[in-house]
Amino acid sequence: MAEPSPLVVEREEIDDGLTLVRQAPPSGSPSVQFTYIGPGGTAYDPGDLAGLALLDAELAVLAAGPWDRRALARRLDSLGATLNSQPSPECAELSVWGPRDRWRELLEVLAEAVLRPRFDAKDLEIAKRQLVERQLREATQPDSRADTEFLEALFPSSHPYHRSGIGTRASVGRIRQADLRRFHGTHYVPGGAALVATSGAPAAALRDEVRRRFRGEWAHWQPVSRPDGSASPRRTVSDRRLAMPDRTQVEIRLGCSAPARSAPGYPALFLGDEVLGGRPLLGRLFQHVRERSGLAYHSSSELESMAWGGFWVARAGTGPERAAQVERLLREELAAIRERPVPTAELDRIRESSIGSIQLGLETTSRVHDVAVEVAYYGLPEDYYREWPARLRAVRPSEIQEAAASAIDPEATVLVTTGT
Amino acid sequence: MAPPVGSFLRPERFQLPNGLTVLLAPDAESPTASVWVWYRVGSKNEWLGVTGASHWVEHMLFQGSPRFAKGEIDRAVVEVGGILNAFTDNDFTAYFTTVPREHLEVPLGIEADRMTRATIAPKEVERERTVVRSEREGNENWPEFRVEEELYALAFTEHPYRWDALGYPSDILSLTPEALRAYYQRFYGPRNAVLVVTGGFEPATLRRDIRRRFSRLPSTGEDPEVHRVEPPLGGIRRADLAGPGTTPLIAMAYRAPAISAAEAPAALVLDAILGGETRLFAAGPMWGRRSDHPTSRLYRALVDPGLAVRATSEWRPRLHPGLFTFYAQAAEGVALERIEQALLKEAQRIAADGPTSAELQEVRVKVREGAALSYEGSTRAGFRLGYFAMLGPPGLERRLYRQLLAVPASAVKQLARRLFDPRRRVVIRFEPVAEAVRG
Repeated sequence: MAEPSPLVVEREEIDDGLTLVRQAPPSGSPSVQFTYIGPGGTAYDPGDLAGLALLDAELAVLAAGPWDRRALARRLDSLGATLNSQPSPECAELSVWGPRDRWRELLEVLAEAVLRPRFDAKDLEIAKRQLVERQLREATQPDSRADTEFLEALFPSSHPYHRSGIGTRASVGRIRQADLRRFHGTHYVPGGAALVATSGAPAAALRDEVRRRFRGEWAHWQPVSRPDGSASPRRTVSDRRLAMPDRTQVEIRLGCSAPARSAPGYPALFLGDEVLGGRPLLGRLFQHVRERSGLAYHSSSELESMAWGGFWVARAGTGPERAAQVERLLREELAAIRERPVPTAELDRIRESSIGSIQLGLETTSRVHDVAVEVAYYGLPEDYYREWPARLRAVRPSEIQEAAASAIDPEATVLVTTGT
Repeated sequence: MAPPVGSFLRPERFQLPNGLTVLLAPDAESPTASVWVWYRVGSKNEWLGVTGASHWVEHMLFQGSPRFAKGEIDRAVVEVGGILNAFTDNDFTAYFTTVPREHLEVPLGIEADRMTRATIAPKEVERERTVVRSEREGNENWPEFRVEEELYALAFTEHPYRWDALGYPSDILSLTPEALRAYYQRFYGPRNAVLVVTGGFEPATLRRDIRRRFSRLPSTGEDPEVHRVEPPLGGIRRADLAGPGTTPLIAMAYRAPAISAAEAPAALVLDAILGGETRLFAAGPMWGRRSDHPTSRLYRALVDPGLAVRATSEWRPRLHPGLFTFYAQAAEGVALERIEQALLKEAQRIAADGPTSAELQEVRVKVREGAALSYEGSTRAGFRLGYFAMLGPPGLERRLYRQLLAVPASAVKQLARRLFDPRRRVVIRFEPVAEAVRG
């Protein structure tokens, strides 16, 4: 019998609305990974407590249940495991990775982090200090500052993607243990949440173990209201040039809003981004800005289609004396992908490269796990990634141009430069 | 304690008549194959005027060779869904390509071609000059890079470890295509290289293919002894830096042994106790580094009481004697003098008392469990096999592993006492400047 493909997941509702997403690991893999995804992302921060969701997730994986931070670190060391949180606007993600034969113990650790984080006062103080330093870093580093400014310029202040989730010094200063406990109690719930399991454990055993760890733990939970992501991105040209003295490199961002992941035109836009600069080494921005012109070390693009819309951005970093030239090239490439169909030969090359790279994603448990997490995160069909190559192959050059033209409005692009 | 099951690969090892060392580690179930070529050339082989040459050559090896015109190397790999990259260290340079297993011939063809026949055309060197500059400029925006560069510049006066692998800006501006080509021709070649292939392949077929492609290459590639010996530190060397940044940073370093020294296992244990990182044998799905280690001594001494937002140590395994460094980033409002005193206190404490038995036991657990999954995936397997091949003789990884599990407290204490002389150290302090961002 053929082994199940990691590209197809299986979903089932366990208890209280918690969805178990099962995925086979790569053949012969020695590791497993489990991730809880719940409606506790940074978009759910209360207005005056920005940074709360981030602190919650970071502290939940630091100390939980019977383990304070040192005991949990020792527990993970003894398992040869790691426990991490992943900040994102829509969801909280807590993830444990470790050896295959310790999967029950790993699940226990994750359950404690999800159900019984300690939020010890000392840990909170340390985490707040670290978060304030991170805020300073995002403000003073040209690259992170450029990314933050880009989102602020693109999305109105009422939109969840307007803010980065790290809060401000004042908002983080206001956060107390009680706020964390309240937020965790209302957002780390089974409704709208998934437990993604990439393990070779038999389905029945896995289901039993998940039930054993989670059943009955959520006695009085309420469904979580989704934040309002309906505000339209700004539809005017924005040009932000921030003079940051004594920097050796200027960071440039040029882009626009993008449709949500669920939009029907997503595969076309995805390929458009791969052509523009998303496909490593083959994309036009890398080829034109770095390989042909020798103007910059990094030049690429990124399409982020998320739950409530997204953005499409071209990025580059270069010396101040070359910044104007690079900016011009970024503008030319955005115009080209919007105004002209991608030549068939170029599209075929990029498309097959993109499809071929799926096999590399099957190399390790953590990489195939990313696929299942994405399926769970966006509520995609179970066989989404198995069918992905066919979806890409069905895209015509005219559809890419249409999708790009629809996304890139020359009257609504956002430019950010940061540096000297 | 027995070594963990399946932790260490025992690659097939052979050498071609032209000197190329080959390591093969097949994994019948792997959907991918990873090809790594490691050259024993890095910034340790450079001299003033050609600093950064190893790194620049690394860039040029993607810019064309007889069989692969400019751009074709990237295209050949990426078009079949593969990934490729390279990096340059003080001691070595490594190139890797991972592809779906049925395309293994692509990276083999590339590596055989560029091992001795990279084009290094003057026009491409000139174009790449700004790319290399831009890479360095991007790094210079980071206070951590500036601190580390200054640290090595101050700690070493003779040995080439005193410059970063990116090279001096003036050399990046002045290095000629001819000098770059000469550097490549001298150091690159089968005699100075290790080819590592891991993942999904049939060994007999691959062996034949490797002999066919690589045996005809000329036996070139020097691995000259680096004769520069750094004199002992005669006192305390200090530098104060300032620039854009977040909170003050400090790096405090002592001279430290090379990987070949008998003390190397004790240095790894010392580093794990102070900073928390088990470095060569760390658990994790990627390279296994964690940012915080709440059980480490420096975390407990600096982060717990609110002096710092992060604190760690680093003993990086190197071919020549290097540094044992303490790093800390101050919490807001904490003066670096206090941080330095706290770091000194921790250095003196372990030198005076050594580690506790509980600490030693914790390190052993971390090493044993961290090593257990260290070879998952062909890319990571290729990295580990090649990395250890650069650091020492065959069997180094297994030997270090066994030794790490047996290092006694007395050896750690003895090493700490020898290294952490408060009168012989290097201290770099970075203070952020207040600034107004205009926009």
